Amino acid sequence: MSCANVMKRDRTAVINPLVTCQPMGAMYAVAGIRRGLPLVHGSQGCSTFVRYSFSRHFREPSEIAVTSLHEDAAVFGGRKNLISGIGNLAVRFKPSVIGAISTCSSEIIGDDMEGFIKIAKEELKEKMGEKEAEKIKIVAISTPSFVENHFKGYDNAIKALVTNLAQDPGDANEKVNIIPGMVNPGDIREIKHILSLMGVEGIVLTDISDPFDSPLRPSATETRPFYPKGGTTVEEIADSPNSLGTISLCEYSGSGALSLEKKYNVPAAVGPIPIGVRNTDQFLRNLKKFTDLEIPDSLLDERGLLIDSMADLASRYLFGRKVAIFGDPAISAGIARFVCELGMIPSVVCTGVENPEFVSEMEKVAKESDEPVDVMIGSDLRALEVKLEEEPVELMIGHSDGRLFAKHLDIPLVRVGYPVYDRAGYHRVPIVGYNGSVNLIDRITNTVFEKYYDKEHWKLQQ
Amino acid sequence: MPHKLFEVDKDIPNRKKHTYVKDLADPTEEIPKCNTTTIPGCMTERGCAFAGVKGVITGAVKDVIHVVHSPVGCTTYGCGSKRYPTSPDLPNGDKVPIDQFNLKYIMGTDLKESDVVFGGMKKLRQSILEAAKEFPFVTAIYTYATCTTGLIGDDMDAVAKELSEEIGKDVVAFNAPGFSGPTQSKGHHVGNLTLFNKLVGTKEPPETTPYDINLIGEYNIDGDLWVLKKYFDEIGINLLSKFTGDCSHDEICWMHRAKLSLVRCQRSATYIADLIEEKYGIPYIKVDFFGPKYCAENLITVAKHFGLEENAEKLIKREMAEIQPKLDFYKEKLQGKTVWVFSGGPKNWHLPEPLKEHLGMETVAVSTMFEHEDGYEKIKERVGEGTVIIDDPNSLELEEIIEVYKPDIILSGIKEKYIAHKLGVPCVLIHSYENGPYMGFEGFLNLAQDIYASIYSPVWNMLEFEETIDDEEELEAEIEGIIQEPEINAPKKEQQKEAP
Repeated sequence: MSCANVMKRDRTAVINPLVTCQPMGAMYAVAGIRRGLPLVHGSQGCSTFVRYSFSRHFREPSEIAVTSLHEDAAVFGGRKNLISGIGNLAVRFKPSVIGAISTCSSEIIGDDMEGFIKIAKEELKEKMGEKEAEKIKIVAISTPSFVENHFKGYDNAIKALVTNLAQDPGDANEKVNIIPGMVNPGDIREIKHILSLMGVEGIVLTDISDPFDSPLRPSATETRPFYPKGGTTVEEIADSPNSLGTISLCEYSGSGALSLEKKYNVPAAVGPIPIGVRNTDQFLRNLKKFTDLEIPDSLLDERGLLIDSMADLASRYLFGRKVAIFGDPAISAGIARFVCELGMIPSVVCTGVENPEFVSEMEKVAKESDEPVDVMIGSDLRALEVKLEEEPVELMIGHSDGRLFAKHLDIPLVRVGYPVYDRAGYHRVPIVGYNGSVNLIDRITNTVFEKYYDKEHWKLQQ
Repeated sequence: MPHKLFEVDKDIPNRKKHTYVKDLADPTEEIPKCNTTTIPGCMTERGCAFAGVKGVITGAVKDVIHVVHSPVGCTTYGCGSKRYPTSPDLPNGDKVPIDQFNLKYIMGTDLKESDVVFGGMKKLRQSILEAAKEFPFVTAIYTYATCTTGLIGDDMDAVAKELSEEIGKDVVAFNAPGFSGPTQSKGHHVGNLTLFNKLVGTKEPPETTPYDINLIGEYNIDGDLWVLKKYFDEIGINLLSKFTGDCSHDEICWMHRAKLSLVRCQRSATYIADLIEEKYGIPYIKVDFFGPKYCAENLITVAKHFGLEENAEKLIKREMAEIQPKLDFYKEKLQGKTVWVFSGGPKNWHLPEPLKEHLGMETVAVSTMFEHEDGYEKIKERVGEGTVIIDDPNSLELEEIIEVYKPDIILSGIKEKYIAHKLGVPCVLIHSYENGPYMGFEGFLNLAQDIYASIYSPVWNMLEFEETIDDEEELEAEIEGIIQEPEINAPKKEQQKEAP
């Protein structure tokens, strides 16, 4: 009888975390806006660490401003820093949106960010003139670092952006809103590809695909200030209440979709991330539900290509192999379902969050698997390492932070998710949709070849 | 006027004081204004004090576990960010049982809302006990304040003291919350003071020799320290203590037994050399080992102190003979190229002269995120006429510097690298390196190779699509030339860009 054994971290301390704090998720969301700039209201490390981390993963610039809180702010509050920070950022960078993101320090000192922003807006009007100042939207995003994790921060940011920038409904736009979650540029491009085959336009809330994978073309690059190509425009966000529906590709970033539903009656469909056959099917059904469009043959052919590669590879090389999956909850959940479809066994799924939605998703996975699934929630990489030392698996699927112990345990690691900094180009290659799932099965199978077949290479003849 | 306001800074005129253009006719003591708070929202590249202490100073120590007293983020970012490898060997002959332990693990107290309200001391205590249990082989436990701890006012020293006794190992608290001081430099300072006050003088080395030194401010980025160690071994000088590249906890405790201290990174670590000199009377020398000339001069100086200059001379002669032909090749290729050095601190004054002398490169701009007055004085002294010296440059200034000074290459960190690329300028990482080590004789060749590979990468000649080709024959000849050339990277075509 298959079941999900839910286990929480049995330590107070965290050792090699699988999550980071809320502000990072908010920075990710704001970076997906055309000329959108995150302004972190905190210490310089709060922006620098994230810029470092984004640059390391995407190999791209990542512009994140900070209000540089110091001792005086700890005593007197960060009012001056936030107001002058907004002012300096606005006049020098002329962004379309400033996402003012709180941190542990600004939350603890109790800064009234909404109030400070009002004052900053007035000052901007004086400095730049009303017309120019109005062009710069300033959105407060509350992301206390000591509450939940980066997923919640992403969710809070999307909700704040929609709440502040969506305008009252006008004419229907025949579009579908997509909240992609914290996925890679390649994944968002694959989603847009599916939409284009369906013949429907999307509003991606928000779209990091170009900002975090931007062409090197000095003659066509916006400079002084540098802005990367692409991103969701403010107009698109404003237009989002006129859409046919909102699909959130991630169960942990649904509140933007739900707030559009509640306020403007835009129907919402939340999760799961379309990795594998059934999750992608579900995504298409959601699209069909909102648009009334038929699923085109071209897409069903793509589905057929995935099914074909599964038929070719899954039973001989992958079936029955035990897998440990770790990382962000949405991607881990999607991969767990996909490995079940491949006949593999998701023995362990380990994530740093404790969401009840994740647990119920894992219960579904356990039903799909023939073997019990150990679900480690609120956990960390050290706990996973200790677990795998005792009960080894044949394959690990997760991000680069697991590389050292994968090597130590001699378990091959298929790299997916964020961050991946020790392999090239993984942010460009999708793992969502039928095409992305083909990539994933190829990546998994080739890893299995290398590890389990190369010694007896004759086994790979026919 | 020696100070300069960038055009992009017209709305933040305070920035003018932070930029100085070297002018030989300038008789004043002017340097860029530095070590002051950043202008909020200006897109600074600076980090925080926690990054300064854990990310630079203590993260290199190989046999301690670090417990970050923070919400989860600071812990996540505190791990594996700097490339300082370690050997497993400990001074008593033992080995650290986990390969690259210092790079592999980090612990944190994972502070939540209730801890912010009721205080986090209990959680800190529990976490340190768990650290001792999880990694029983560690020699010590280091624990760090962060913004949250600083604001809720947890008394980390009290917990550390109590648990040191309970566990029977050193537990050291570093009180450098992220918001303290204007830059990461504050973290370096706190790290130095804490390690000196709590550890130096508390243990005795298993043996001493008349040739014992402390090598201070060398963090073994990409194995830099191992290059130097090889030289010192050959000369006959013993590294009694390292601070802190490939360093064990105990080495810090017996730094007072050395005969001489060398300070390599003079921004982050002169503090402890000063303190050791003051309390224990051990003199120190400030040293540079970037570039063959400095490396040779400094090895001689150090060797002389111990009467070992003959050994040093022999080594230098051999090393120079080995690298000279390769250096000549790079110099031929890089002669006249211009460079912007954007480093942590000392590389600003360590690199321009070697780049000029050995590679023929001109430094048009230098900058740092966290330098202080003494460093800028040295930088000013060493750079050439017209070089612009910028304190804490921000992203927009970065664009203007590239536009105005047109460097052929930027030597900087990862946050600047990709924006430079987008503007069409190659960049070599000199904080964490591309393919280091960059230290010493062979290290400088690695740096030269990385600079050469970056400038001469064929990509920079293909940045834009050309509608028509003026001279097709010439192009074909060029391409053929490249293909026939035995060294694949060897250039046939100079950069299109004009010299400034």
